Amino acid sequence: MKKILLVLTALLPAGICPAQPPDISKSVVMIQTVKQGYDYTTPWKQKSTTAGTGSGFIIAGNRILTNAHNISDNRYIIIKKENIAKKYPANVEFIGHDCDLAVLKVYDESFFDGTESLDFGDLPKVNSTVSTYGFPLGGAHFSVTEGVISRIQTDVYVHSGADSHLVIQTDAAINPGNSGGPVMQDGKVIGVAFQGMLAAENIGYMIPTTVIKHFLQDVNDGRYDGFDSLGITLFTGLHNDSYKDFLKIPADTQGIVVISVMLNSSAETILQKDDCITRIDNYDIDNDGMIMIYGTKHHMSEAIEQKQIGQAVTLTYWRNGQKNTTELPIQLNRPVFEYARLYDDPPHYVCFAGLTFISASRNFLETWGRDWIKDIPHILRYLFSDSQQLNKDRLRKEYVILSEILPDEINAYGDSFLNKPLESINDTPVRSLDDVKKAFENKDADFYILKFMNSDSPLPIEAKKAHQRNEIILEKYNVPTWAFTEDKI
Amino acid sequence: MGIYGGQNMKQTKNVKLLFSVLLFAAVVSSNACAKGRIDMTEKMKDSIVYLQISYCGYEQYQPWKNKDITEGWGVGCAIAENQVITTAYNVANAAVIKAKRFGQNEFIPAKIKIVDYESNLALIELDPNALKKALVPLKFNAKYEKGIEVNFYWLSSTVQAYSGRGYLDRASVDSYSIAFSRTLNFVAANISDLTGNGQLYCIGTEPLGIACWSNSNKEAGIIPAEVINRFISDENDDTYNGTGAVGFLTTRLLDPALRKYLKLPQQIQNGVYVSDVYTIGTGSDVLKTGDVLVSIDGFELNSYGRFIHPKYDALFFDYLITGKTAGEKITFNLWRDGKSEKIEALVKNFDVSQMLVPWYDLDSQPQYFIIGGCILQKLTKTYLEARGADWAGKAEPHIYNYLLNEAFKPTETRKAIIVLSYVLPGNINLGYHGLSQLVIDNINGMKIRSMKDIPVALTLNPETKYDVIEFELDQPKIILDRATMQSANLTIAKTYGIDKSANIK
Repeated sequence: MKKILLVLTALLPAGICPAQPPDISKSVVMIQTVKQGYDYTTPWKQKSTTAGTGSGFIIAGNRILTNAHNISDNRYIIIKKENIAKKYPANVEFIGHDCDLAVLKVYDESFFDGTESLDFGDLPKVNSTVSTYGFPLGGAHFSVTEGVISRIQTDVYVHSGADSHLVIQTDAAINPGNSGGPVMQDGKVIGVAFQGMLAAENIGYMIPTTVIKHFLQDVNDGRYDGFDSLGITLFTGLHNDSYKDFLKIPADTQGIVVISVMLNSSAETILQKDDCITRIDNYDIDNDGMIMIYGTKHHMSEAIEQKQIGQAVTLTYWRNGQKNTTELPIQLNRPVFEYARLYDDPPHYVCFAGLTFISASRNFLETWGRDWIKDIPHILRYLFSDSQQLNKDRLRKEYVILSEILPDEINAYGDSFLNKPLESINDTPVRSLDDVKKAFENKDADFYILKFMNSDSPLPIEAKKAHQRNEIILEKYNVPTWAFTEDKI
Repeated sequence: MGIYGGQNMKQTKNVKLLFSVLLFAAVVSSNACAKGRIDMTEKMKDSIVYLQISYCGYEQYQPWKNKDITEGWGVGCAIAENQVITTAYNVANAAVIKAKRFGQNEFIPAKIKIVDYESNLALIELDPNALKKALVPLKFNAKYEKGIEVNFYWLSSTVQAYSGRGYLDRASVDSYSIAFSRTLNFVAANISDLTGNGQLYCIGTEPLGIACWSNSNKEAGIIPAEVINRFISDENDDTYNGTGAVGFLTTRLLDPALRKYLKLPQQIQNGVYVSDVYTIGTGSDVLKTGDVLVSIDGFELNSYGRFIHPKYDALFFDYLITGKTAGEKITFNLWRDGKSEKIEALVKNFDVSQMLVPWYDLDSQPQYFIIGGCILQKLTKTYLEARGADWAGKAEPHIYNYLLNEAFKPTETRKAIIVLSYVLPGNINLGYHGLSQLVIDNINGMKIRSMKDIPVALTLNPETKYDVIEFELDQPKIILDRATMQSANLTIAKTYGIDKSANIK
């Protein structure tokens, strides 16, 4: 099933006012954004600009809430109010790519004159009626559509491509441009319209207030930290009585089995393979890994979604026939090969002797085009898919890839190493771009011997000559600096 | 000797004479060449047969089932009164082969005597009792000559003899069809018909080889006389040894910095870098990663891994191994650890089934074992290819990695990769449905080295209630109840129509 993001064409608004109170047209705004992302193969370069339009709405504290995907990689943002010609420049105050939400600030405080902020409601009931507001394509006016809540479940947020949270599905038409607009019930916001499904009709999704409230609470301290996790992989195998008996779990007990614990996660010292988790906080976990929450069954991750990083959950689990209870602090727990798409920040790199090294990311893999998951070289697909199991190096920060060679006499024979992960330089393991930078800063060696994963032949670079050529190459190819890594101020 | 043995010695000489005249004429006018063409269509009627082949291999994902029957055809070239050769690819997964001979209406039953997918040759035996008139054997004697006109002949399904022509463009060593080896092929250019099914190629009256592929650029591959003759003579003694297989991987050695780093002296200007050494095949016992392979049997390798052959010009070094029969001697000259070394070794080969991940699995049922609805199956390239177009991109990377990086490296402790292909849903495996394409690590604590280990492992720990299957890469375990296993196996076999619960060789 393919999902499509809802953000597209700019349209000019003109006046209509929906008849129901409160006057939503005083709260919903149009957001026009010019975007420019980075080229993840040669990261000092930026891609061409694109323009898009989305929706947003005013919330308490003279802020505007919208989708992250409306304003990610932005270079310029304009906010427009219904019936008013003036364009107000704005900037991003907080952005959460993992939950596709952002808070905008308008420079000109007079913008908020005559506007009304909206309040948030709770999770709506299935089959209850909702209205969607925004500036979708198909006309120039502020638009209203009505529909019912079809279902509520946990699903992937396509903006990051990797994070799953609760979503609400509705049959109210949600079209490109609707993104970021409020979905209302009984005068309160019960969701932010954000994505749809390409293959289906009348399937639109909104971000529920559980996620919105988590985001707004997170940014209260002036910084967005993100959603957290337990750092474990789980298996719904306890439907099988033999499995249950083998793990010495009482026949009448339901739960979910731990099959792996992430390296460096908070769970590492607490949980282990074959532990069976039966309860999280006050929720019993069933054999499908679901808990009874908000009046229905949802994935047990919903219990964690309510917490902020640094808080803990109470877990009940079985190990070797013993029932245990533990406190597990939750943290970010991102995989060493990040699954999620990256935005906004210029990517780090090292470009030495024309050899361009980057940190492996989904953005880099997506440069292979639409069928990237099939078309990328095997080693990158292997790491992307299985890095959590394959990486045993606790100190590894990232995988470093040779992404591009800026042609020069010093690197004329490096082509066969392109797109391979760098394993070591002069037998010192490469665990981050910073390691690469440090290795090339050392001018003592005659050669830099680069070894790559899945490649038995080394790439030797003559050190002295490489340093001589480096400046020439940087100038020729307009590379602003040879090393842009974490350490750079 | 001429193509028809003693009886035509005289004629052959005449033809040779005619041939040199013809070549001379070709310089003057190309029209003269066409007029003087030697057409052997009539003669070949007694030496080539039409082969009608019915194929029915096995389903890779339901290995107890045959695939739907398909039909194909090929050309057989006589090498004895009731024996013909054709390409191995023609008869891969053949269920039934029938031959048609010129001048006889009835089909002649035929069967495969020997097949070698690396040489891409198969020897087919025709039922002598059904053959009304003996075939006239061919001798493959034509010499390679770049640019010369070649003619090809075949018999259609209506036993009509056809011919066509092209030019012998080059000799090339590459991997063709399904082989893992790079072997010698001649390439004919500007061919008048697509040939790829064993059509007989001749230079004048002399058979040159049989067609094994062609492409839309009007090029055709020819399995040359020397490959055919070695195949025939190898087959003639008691055991078929097969051709040599390369037991190592090389990469180009162009980078002067790498040469400097390897401390290669000025006088060694060429050679290739040995980037990986397998556990099977020629050189696997004597070469090391990091060696520079300078020459083989006195033939110097350039930095791309090619050498100059006196007849065929530049060829990949693989020919110096795949062009030999297993058991012959071979000499490697190396640069190793800063000095020159000369190593004598024997040409080795291996059966495809010895590979950790066999490159092809043809003519036989895939190896599998079904327990509690879990289909455990031996990983082969054929198994992965059954995923269809883009199979390499669709295959689970952990499994594909075994094919890509470990296929030629079986060891005593790992002779095969066994995967959980699919779980056939039943009560015994409730909760495990949906698990698939996982690599088995151990069963009941015993590391699984090959298919044969599975039944052994299942007898372990008789005092326990469960069979335990564990997988690589932190995947879930499968726990199966021994008490209900037998009845579950029966139920599942009946439900899903499985007539045979295991096939282990």
